[in-house]
Amino acid sequence: MTRLVVGGAGVLLAAYGGWLLLTRSSLGDLVSTALWLAGGVVAHDLLLAPLVIAAAWLGSRLLPSWARGPAVVAGLVLGTLTVMAIPVLGGWGRRADNPTLLDRDYWAGWGGLAALVVVAAVAAALVVRSRERTGGDRGKRPRRG
Amino acid sequence: MSAHDTDRESARPTEQSAEPGTAGGAGTPLEDRFTSRLRSAAVAARVGMWLGICFGIAFLTGLISHYAQLPDPSVPFPTGPVWGYRVSQAVHVAAGTAAVPLLLVKLWSVYPKLFERPPRIPRALVMTALLRGSIGVLVAAAIFQLASGLANVTQWYPWDFSFRRTHYAVAWVAIGALLLHVAVKLPVIRGALGSPVDDTGLDRPNATAPGPVSRRTLLRGTWGAAAGAVLLTAGASVPLLRKVSIFAVRTGEGPQGVPINRTASAAGVTAEAVGDGYRLEVVRGERSITLTRAELAALEQRTRTLPIACVEGWSASGTWTGVPVRTLLDLVQAPRGAGVRVESLQTRGASSSSVLPGNFADHPDTLLALGLNGEPLDIDHGFPARIIAPNRPGVLQTKWVTRMEVLA
Repeated sequence: MTRLVVGGAGVLLAAYGGWLLLTRSSLGDLVSTALWLAGGVVAHDLLLAPLVIAAAWLGSRLLPSWARGPAVVAGLVLGTLTVMAIPVLGGWGRRADNPTLLDRDYWAGWGGLAALVVVAAVAAALVVRSRERTGGDRGKRPRRG
Repeated sequence: MSAHDTDRESARPTEQSAEPGTAGGAGTPLEDRFTSRLRSAAVAARVGMWLGICFGIAFLTGLISHYAQLPDPSVPFPTGPVWGYRVSQAVHVAAGTAAVPLLLVKLWSVYPKLFERPPRIPRALVMTALLRGSIGVLVAAAIFQLASGLANVTQWYPWDFSFRRTHYAVAWVAIGALLLHVAVKLPVIRGALGSPVDDTGLDRPNATAPGPVSRRTLLRGTWGAAAGAVLLTAGASVPLLRKVSIFAVRTGEGPQGVPINRTASAAGVTAEAVGDGYRLEVVRGERSITLTRAELAALEQRTRTLPIACVEGWSASGTWTGVPVRTLLDLVQAPRGAGVRVESLQTRGASSSSVLPGNFADHPDTLLALGLNGEPLDIDHGFPARIIAPNRPGVLQTKWVTRMEVLA
């Protein structure tokens, strides 16, 4: 019953949104909206997701096991924050007449963030490795990196 | 496979999972080739819950912002608290920003479902098509909202549609599709949230390979990324975070200590238009008066510290000096409660006029400001005179005001 009410409400709200779109936009607006709606899905499903799979596959081949965990967390944090920062990194909204908008060196900020994340990941990886080497971690056998 | 064979000796739970192309033969269905235990309902439900909360907050604060911009609301938008719109719009942008890492991890955790084989029974096939269609709508609307919102914050408009109208309409689509999705998945969500994160009860049968990190670590990384997203951008509205917010759209610097949304040159306002020939006209029906800037400055002045809070989420506090709008309305004997249309000298761009509803027009802190932080207004802040009212979206704080018309 809860599901029926919530689901029904969802259909109604979404339909209202669709009605707003269809009745208040010109044809040109609608075409542009449809392109951006579809474009987001394509960009994620056919570009970003396969790229992440490829990166994970490469990481699993190239990195020693003790580095993989920290690499995953570093990739997760840096990757998602980079996607979020695309508009400021690109700076396409910057205008000559308004120096108060996008008034930072975003690439320098990104570089600092990336350095911080990489240093933290390397430190974490070294800790994992030393634990593996001493074999003290949950009674694991020592192993070669 | 030699690297994997060596790893298996340790049987550590930090082993790299196999991904497509590394497990199963060519005949294995694509969905089953995703073998990582991390891509699980346990992860999806936990990330999804916070993602849903972020979308809910963004939706509600978005409605507030939309309501605040209505020219003639049936129930007036309140004039207080002074910081109300500033906080609600900052929260709107922060919720959307935090949702970026959450959405990416959420989509990652359920990505194998994209390759699920459709059922063979026609009736089930129709149902599956509907459900997957609704997921498609949800994903498209969610990505659209975050992408268009983030671009708008930087005043980047790489599209042909009207941002405000479309962002508003798609918000309803997104929240509706989200509710439908929650309703459909409720048993799975309950099951996943009700059992420990490492429980395998809801996993896909082939998803048995331990990932390079535990589910707990994956989730902690996700929360960290979401919190980081907010901290690294919120400096545009939270002055304390300015030094940390390397991705904030504004440092908060600007003429007279306040950033500018649209400059005079972008609005087509020339130095000539705001020069000695400038006049302010206050009109009520047949009655009208005209004031020079010197005459405005000779009226009793009031100084108030009020935020300028843009719909794009940035905000800054300023100390404004000017004539209360009510004082000007009294000059034409406007009745209390009457709305006022405010018109700007600007010749380019949207929002060249706004309507002050009666409750704002009568509020003693609603000023026709002539000065900011102890100096005459910079031309980019609206010299000779601009509106500044408490708890209002910046887009309605009309600059370069040349005409005020009482609507009653």
